[in-house]
Amino acid sequence: MLPMILVRLTQKKQEFEVPGPRRVMDILAQAGVRPTTVIVTQGKKLLTKDHRVEDGETIDVISVVSGG
Amino acid sequence: MKCKRCRRAEAAVDLPSHHSAFCPDCFFVFFQRQVKEGIRKFRLLAPEDRVLVCVSGGKDSLVLWDVLMELGYETEGLYIDLGIDGYSERSKEKVLAYAASRGKTPIVVELAREGIPIPEAARCARMEECSVCGTVKRYFFNRVAAEGKFTVVATGHNLDDEAARLLGNLLHWHRDHLSRQHPFLPDAGEGLVRKVKPLWRVSELETASYGFLKGIDYVTEECPMSEDATSLVYKEALSRIEDQMPGTRTVFYQGFLDPGNPLRRAPEAQLREGGGKEREGAGTVEAGTPRACASCGAPTFAEVCSFCRLRERVQKRREQRAGRASG
Repeated sequence: MLPMILVRLTQKKQEFEVPGPRRVMDILAQAGVRPTTVIVTQGKKLLTKDHRVEDGETIDVISVVSGG
Repeated sequence: MKCKRCRRAEAAVDLPSHHSAFCPDCFFVFFQRQVKEGIRKFRLLAPEDRVLVCVSGGKDSLVLWDVLMELGYETEGLYIDLGIDGYSERSKEKVLAYAASRGKTPIVVELAREGIPIPEAARCARMEECSVCGTVKRYFFNRVAAEGKFTVVATGHNLDDEAARLLGNLLHWHRDHLSRQHPFLPDAGEGLVRKVKPLWRVSELETASYGFLKGIDYVTEECPMSEDATSLVYKEALSRIEDQMPGTRTVFYQGFLDPGNPLRRAPEAQLREGGGKEREGAGTVEAGTPRACASCGAPTFAEVCSFCRLRERVQKRREQRAGRASG
């Protein structure tokens, strides 16, 4: 099977795969996540929403919204 | 996407609300300028201040502590262990680790030791956890600040927090809350120390980006007590608007803070009218200067402070339960 992009939603402890290459904003739209509510990271790098992610790469989606 | 400031490095943070995008180094410059401007605009801090920074282990408060140290302020961190199973231990670990990395030791208050852990206190007092938490935190902010001779207490409330609070206050026409909502709450004397929110110009996205790029390891899970917090509903609504019209959140909150806005009074006027008063819980609240709580001696605008009233309710409920168990 061909490698795909692994997307981890860290707070929800969920992950899913999408075929690449694909822009961060498109991945977020597919996951139903609004771009202004998260940061997207890859290792120690912070990705902009137009960054293109390739097959075989992993990204983390971290919510920035705090309550209370 | 290239950094819009240096035009050389690859951008790491894109900010549609500022029509901009920054590489890490330029973003640090942008972020610190925003905080500096927030401090300057309302004279939140003076160079000689001793600042007590309230840290929860979350991104905003740790970033606040970090940036205030970078800007050269004399700071100490205060961590209040709320006594929430699991969550409190994990957030405390983050605070201690961050502080150690900067050569600091935070002041720690453990509510379980004080006899008033939040989950039990809320159950006993039959109040919302967030409301109990606010009352208890405010009490310890003042107490620790007075004991440690701090001149000011700083909290990590950001633009999203303040805009959401403003929306909630407007939707319910909480005129008294509207008149007091401000990044600067003056020193009311008698131990009610000045309180400031230096991050009022920066968004949650910006504090999270700053924290990540600075390598600050913060707790990313939400407080389990705040899952149903109404502030999240207001944040969601504002966030949807922001997606369609970037920058609206800033215009909304900064417009509210305009000195000419009749919905709010200047901090000095609030103080003259007893604006720093605490209003949580029952009991008569009076305007004017604070006095000593008849029970604990802490500054209050009522006869007995809201913390003592809460503690009394918790104690009564405990006694009732113990009586039922033994009877």
